[in-house]
Amino acid sequence: MANNDKRIGEALAVAACGLLGAAAPSASRAAEPGSGWDVDTAFLFYGESDGRVKDASVSALAIRDYGDERKLSLDMTLDTLTGASPNGAIASDLPQTFTSPSGRSTYTTPAGEIPLDSSFHDTRVALNASWSQPFARLYSVDAGLGFSSEIDYQHLGLNAGITRDFNQRNTTASFSVAYGFDTVKPVGGVPAPFAAMGDAVGEDDEGNASGQAGSNQDKKVLDVLAGFSQVLGRHSVLRVNYSYSDSSGYLTDPYKVLTVVDPVTGEPVLRTPPPGVEGPGGIYLFEHRPDSRRRQGLYTELRQDFSGNVLQLGYRYSTDDWGIDSHTLEGRLRFPLGESGYLEPHLRYYTQTAASFYRYSLANGAPLPEFASADARLADMDAYTVGVKYGHQTPQGNEWSARLEYYEQTAKAPAETLIGNQPGTVQMPDFSAVILQFSYHFKL
Amino acid sequence: MGSPCEVLVDASREHTARAVAGAVAACASRVEQKFSRYRDDSIVSRINRAAGTPFEVDAETAKLLDFAEHMWRMSDGLFDISSGVLRRAWRFDGGTRVPTAAEIRELLPLVGWSRIRWQRPLLTLQPGMEIDFGGIGKEYAVDLALAAAARETDDPVLVNFGGDLAATGPQRDGRAWRVGVEGVSGPDIPWTLELAGGALATSGDTHRYVTADGKRRPHILDPRTGEPVRDAPRSITVAAATCTQAGTWCTLAMLQGAEAETFLARDGVRHWIQRD
Repeated sequence: MANNDKRIGEALAVAACGLLGAAAPSASRAAEPGSGWDVDTAFLFYGESDGRVKDASVSALAIRDYGDERKLSLDMTLDTLTGASPNGAIASDLPQTFTSPSGRSTYTTPAGEIPLDSSFHDTRVALNASWSQPFARLYSVDAGLGFSSEIDYQHLGLNAGITRDFNQRNTTASFSVAYGFDTVKPVGGVPAPFAAMGDAVGEDDEGNASGQAGSNQDKKVLDVLAGFSQVLGRHSVLRVNYSYSDSSGYLTDPYKVLTVVDPVTGEPVLRTPPPGVEGPGGIYLFEHRPDSRRRQGLYTELRQDFSGNVLQLGYRYSTDDWGIDSHTLEGRLRFPLGESGYLEPHLRYYTQTAASFYRYSLANGAPLPEFASADARLADMDAYTVGVKYGHQTPQGNEWSARLEYYEQTAKAPAETLIGNQPGTVQMPDFSAVILQFSYHFKL
Repeated sequence: MGSPCEVLVDASREHTARAVAGAVAACASRVEQKFSRYRDDSIVSRINRAAGTPFEVDAETAKLLDFAEHMWRMSDGLFDISSGVLRRAWRFDGGTRVPTAAEIRELLPLVGWSRIRWQRPLLTLQPGMEIDFGGIGKEYAVDLALAAAARETDDPVLVNFGGDLAATGPQRDGRAWRVGVEGVSGPDIPWTLELAGGALATSGDTHRYVTADGKRRPHILDPRTGEPVRDAPRSITVAAATCTQAGTWCTLAMLQGAEAETFLARDGVRHWIQRD
């Protein structure tokens, strides 16, 4: 154009507006498929009350669209865990001493407090890559590969899925399979089932806190998911998923113990370490769980859009052969706030029954059960989450959001697992936690 | 419209789809009847027949003329709805005849918005002059049809009149519409674009050219010289908020010849250009 300083674009927009009226849209959203990456980055902080577990994580998910619905996604997460975690032993009127997982030192829990193992810290790196593309008409297939690594745990996973659209894409059915192969390499070795926590061996000796069943163990997990989603009218979508999960191998938590208690008082049985040796002041046996677990779940979700406000309601039922049945109810309501923001309150309630082998403690002198664990996560448990998320879209089409949530978990030991006077003294490691997340979505 | 017209509705109900299709078809045929230069009873034909005397136009035509005048001024005379007369010398039939300088010189006095008197609602052409809305009529129809469709439903709609198209938004599942653009290498190899809202227009019909001096010359003519624009791209596709804007950008960019890319990039216009 001869004269460069004229703003043709503005003049054209004004002229087109005069021609078409003010109702004309003001922006175009056209793109070449495969132009660039869609990136989601997030920083998450999770902190439990009373100095327990803290987790800080950064993650990035990058999706590249190669056109014709062929997509590559790459996902990376790095997190660091610190803080203390319940070791499974019960609180006592006396201070209690335990040998740390490394077997080289001891830690002491004051009287009346639930014993926490403060050597709990870890760094985890996880990487996932997956590819999806259409397959024949109405089908799409995807496949992925994942890997994660921690000090004491390694995971390798493979997954594949197929999706089919019916009924002019108003109905979608999907089926996917994932297989995980994990290796557990506990600090201090794999304790033998119900081995007693041993004395500390000092810094120079080979760590061996207990009778050992080797230095590492495997775990295999097969997950199958069949899903179905249906568009119901103009403003709602219903989704139903059935999931089946089969875990086998080493499913025990190598750091968790059970307290051996007096069958009459229900108080920990005391023990004195040999002279000059540091060691546990009670009898604590490493837990032992079954080596297989089959879980089935049914999930239904309804999304309803009422003039810009989106309500999402979900219910999940899950049952497994450990005896844990759970119900989850969850709701989110997203409504617009301001020109380009939204607010999304979130409520979630979870309840479960205890695993059949959950024990608050073990009675001294009684025969050992086949399996037992005092992990509160296997007890009767209720949890709820309340939270809110605020998201904002920038004029460039990027989006940032902040999420704040409060979580509270209360567990209950089933009455029949309590021994002697324990019904009057039972104390569960309940806690609350705060979750804070910032995320930013942008295009590259 | 002289090209296939389609409307895609991502509707949950059949009667919605039918209502949208009806509204779009009505809009397309109304604009066609009113503004096509190929129809004797169109307002464009009546204006051209009345050349030499003032002609009173209706409000809608007046808005189109205002638009044309505005863009003519902004483009320093490149965008000109009176340049169609030059077609009398050039035949875009794939032939080889190049008009002589004398033939073009003879026609140039009949070209140029500056020779037209436009005083709403009266339009006066010089005798022998003609106007047509070929450069924006189809795009204008797309925008009107989309607005008509949006009055019928909140469901996502895409209107496509011969490759000029606009959509109300992404499809209901959030996916963008996939749009094929005819490629220079042949009509069977379209490349695709994704449209999640707004409009796309393509200029540079691959079937209309003359072969002169062994070179294919596309049909874009510089209204100031009567010559086809040199080094014009084979095809230009532009994304804009409305199809009218996208189509106007295409026309203006095509007239820049070798500078088409620079011209569009300077204003930050999203574009895809195909060259030989």
